[in-house]
Amino acid sequence: MSGAATGETAGVEWRLAAPLGLTYLAFFAAPLLILLVMSFSVDDNLGGFSLAAWSKFWGDPFYRGVVWDTLRLGLVTVAMTTLFAYPIALLFIASGPGLQRLLLFIVLLPLLTSVVIRTFAWIAILSREGVLNQALLALGLTTAPLNLLQTELGLVMALMQIEMPLMLLPLITVMQQVDPSLSDASRALGGSKWRTFRKVILPLSLPGWIAGATLVFASATTAFISQTVIGGARLVYLPTLIWQQAMVVYNWPFAAVASVTLLVAVLAGVSLFALLGRFARTA
Amino acid sequence: MTRQLNTPMDRGYSLVMGTLAVIGLGILIVPVIIVLLSSFTSSTVLKFPPPGFSLRWYEALIDPVRSRHVHVALSNSLWVALSATALAAILATLAALALNRASRRSARAMEAGFLSPLILPGLAFGLATLMYFSILGFRPSLNLLIAGHIVVIAPFIFRTTLASLTQLDPALHESSASLGAGRLYTFRRITLPIIAPGIAAGSFLAFVASMDNVPVSLFLSNARTNMLPIRMWGMMETTLDVRVAAMSGALIVVVLVLMIVMDRLTNLTRRMSM
Amino acid sequence: MTDLTRRSALKGVAALGAAAALPLPARASTSLNAAIYPGTWDEAYRAIVAPQLKAKHGVDVAFDTLWAVDQVTKVRAARGVPPFDCFVLDPGPSAAARQAGLFDPIDASKLTNASKLPAGMIAPDAVTVNVQVVGICYNPKKVPNPPKTWAQLFESPYVERLGLTGFQTTFGTVSLVEMAKAFGGSATDIEPIFRKLKEVLPKVAAVSTPAALPGLFQQGQIDIMYTNTNNAATLKAKGVDIAFLAPESGAITFSTTLHIVKGSENRDAAHKYIDTVIAADAQSKLQLSPYNMIPVNKDVKLSDNLDVKSLDEVAKMVTHDWNVINPQRAAWIERFNKEITK
Repeated sequence: MSGAATGETAGVEWRLAAPLGLTYLAFFAAPLLILLVMSFSVDDNLGGFSLAAWSKFWGDPFYRGVVWDTLRLGLVTVAMTTLFAYPIALLFIASGPGLQRLLLFIVLLPLLTSVVIRTFAWIAILSREGVLNQALLALGLTTAPLNLLQTELGLVMALMQIEMPLMLLPLITVMQQVDPSLSDASRALGGSKWRTFRKVILPLSLPGWIAGATLVFASATTAFISQTVIGGARLVYLPTLIWQQAMVVYNWPFAAVASVTLLVAVLAGVSLFALLGRFARTA
Repeated sequence: MTRQLNTPMDRGYSLVMGTLAVIGLGILIVPVIIVLLSSFTSSTVLKFPPPGFSLRWYEALIDPVRSRHVHVALSNSLWVALSATALAAILATLAALALNRASRRSARAMEAGFLSPLILPGLAFGLATLMYFSILGFRPSLNLLIAGHIVVIAPFIFRTTLASLTQLDPALHESSASLGAGRLYTFRRITLPIIAPGIAAGSFLAFVASMDNVPVSLFLSNARTNMLPIRMWGMMETTLDVRVAAMSGALIVVVLVLMIVMDRLTNLTRRMSM
Repeated sequence: MTDLTRRSALKGVAALGAAAALPLPARASTSLNAAIYPGTWDEAYRAIVAPQLKAKHGVDVAFDTLWAVDQVTKVRAARGVPPFDCFVLDPGPSAAARQAGLFDPIDASKLTNASKLPAGMIAPDAVTVNVQVVGICYNPKKVPNPPKTWAQLFESPYVERLGLTGFQTTFGTVSLVEMAKAFGGSATDIEPIFRKLKEVLPKVAAVSTPAALPGLFQQGQIDIMYTNTNNAATLKAKGVDIAFLAPESGAITFSTTLHIVKGSENRDAAHKYIDTVIAADAQSKLQLSPYNMIPVNKDVKLSDNLDVKSLDEVAKMVTHDWNVINPQRAAWIERFNKEITK
């Protein structure tokens, strides 16, 4: 591309980005600014200037731990979702149109159940007398019911169910566009299935995975209802903290600090995924 | 050829991938089955496993008197979700087109910026938005709800559209342009067909996210604009109302029917165009 | 950004703002927006209070379903543009809202039923419409010999079936204060309950948000919890295996109050709404199943479905001073977070 052409397209492109940018400016940046100002305020009247909330949050190892736990929850959920999403996507690609339609419906199913009722279903699965414990007992894999509810394991399972579609939809979309002859060629050249997966399918599907991982990571770290109902009060994540501080204690500056922290921390994580995408595209 | 198909490594691959896929599908589907079974309970309250089966809660759900407030909340939520999704789809697709080719650092920052509403905890966003609108002197209304929802759901469409744009071969674009095609024509005939699945997938996610949004709706709705998830949350929390499960059951049936219909229609058009 | 885009950005913001402003609903003087708790309260007030208010005073009431803390937060965030006209609150959030100056005064002379309430139930900015009674709830099928005291909750075999909740609700807070008393503490010294919690935590069946408790109870993760009679009776009427028991030290009671939101434009209608709620007509119906709300109007005879027999009985129950509790609550919540986190 010539320099002149680049200049021209860049100009046009900003105009295309403007409508969404302006909408964000009006309805997102402004509230965000309020949050930011709030975090430096003395109280919820946005008056005064104080670093008290910031120093209380970052000076306390407990709250730093909560930030780390929240990010780790996001990463674990992304990893676990990836582990199961790729096999399902491969199954989808390999299936005929009839089975594909069925699989797509199954993938969409969790999105059709409201978060309100989904948490109830997970209580029914994970509780001491729940479906999973009864299955484990019947199979003889355990002799006493396991504590699954209100553990990180249980929470990640519940999150995986609702996050999996967010990973699978972009993944399948991109994998469908990958030329099937490529993996056939790899196979014909004597590559094993593992090798074909690693050398052909994985790199080519990376944009889809990055899109999915971004959505999953962002959504798992901010899933307030699942975190509190399935995770319980003994697992404290940033959204829970924000809720408590904003709604019960009315310490809005502190809630604002927690919100801004969550935003920045998760944004850093997401930028990492985006950077991966640029890298994969140029590589 | 035989070496390829039957090595232990390859069999291992199929076994591992197959097992993971089955477990993954189980995680997706088992909770939904529990919701569905619970929704057909004959009992007066949500319980799994249900003591017996009946359609009483679906009848209760469609009953125009007993469930009037549920219907009002449903229509509010549908209106907000449809409007917000339609507007967000246009805005986000344009933005994705704009950022697709730009490789400058500012574009990368914009990309992260466009995704950031996903990350802001909904509760804090809802609270701050209510403060913002109040400072401007607006009372909560359906239009404010739509504005709030656009911000929250646009990233879904932006992200999936951007992902499918990476599949677009720049050569296609250039050859179309060099053949004298206008930008709009090129977009309609070359770009749109390729990114349409991405837009559709994102719009679906966006619509669902809007329908199920609790925190933004909590703060921006008012007594005259009750929203469905807030209402269901209350019904579930204190009284274990089975209609909450029935609502999900109904939604699943509607989407199943829609998918079958759309499938028929697209097959039809494909056959017609041949 | 170039100057051009910045200017068009501002124009866009203005246009969008104008679009959002258009549909401001015209507020007729006969309409009222009231906050109400989700669930039973919502159903009860829609079914009983709304039609009576319409019939008696021609006022149309619409309900915004919000928990107490959500109501207070929403009004605080709305900064003088009240999102609704009336609060319904428990003592904890009520004290917080009063401190933040979110109430308008209530003119008792405008309430025709004011004299029907026991003394002390009408304050300058609050009217008690219902009392709540909190005690121990258990599943009688699984716990045939229920715990009789707050202290026993922390002994085997009860503690392994217990669902705990923290300081974020009024009933959770006062229950924990009572437990602290059971182990030698008081409302100003809750150290003993924190010590006990630390000791038994590995055995407790669930530490949860109140919202999750009914689901956990119904699915058998927990068989013992503490909640109000109103909740227990509603679940029981729906066929859940649940029974209520007043601990030996006495059940806890507190009032639920209605308030007028500061800056409300419908003060007349709000008074009529409050008057309708405390009238014998509404109170006698609100106490019936499936609503089970303990009435406060002296003309109403308590019905059999309630777990209390008379208002005199309620008067003897344990009460708490929220002016003592509220200043300590933030610290309690922080400590609860830190000590119970895994």
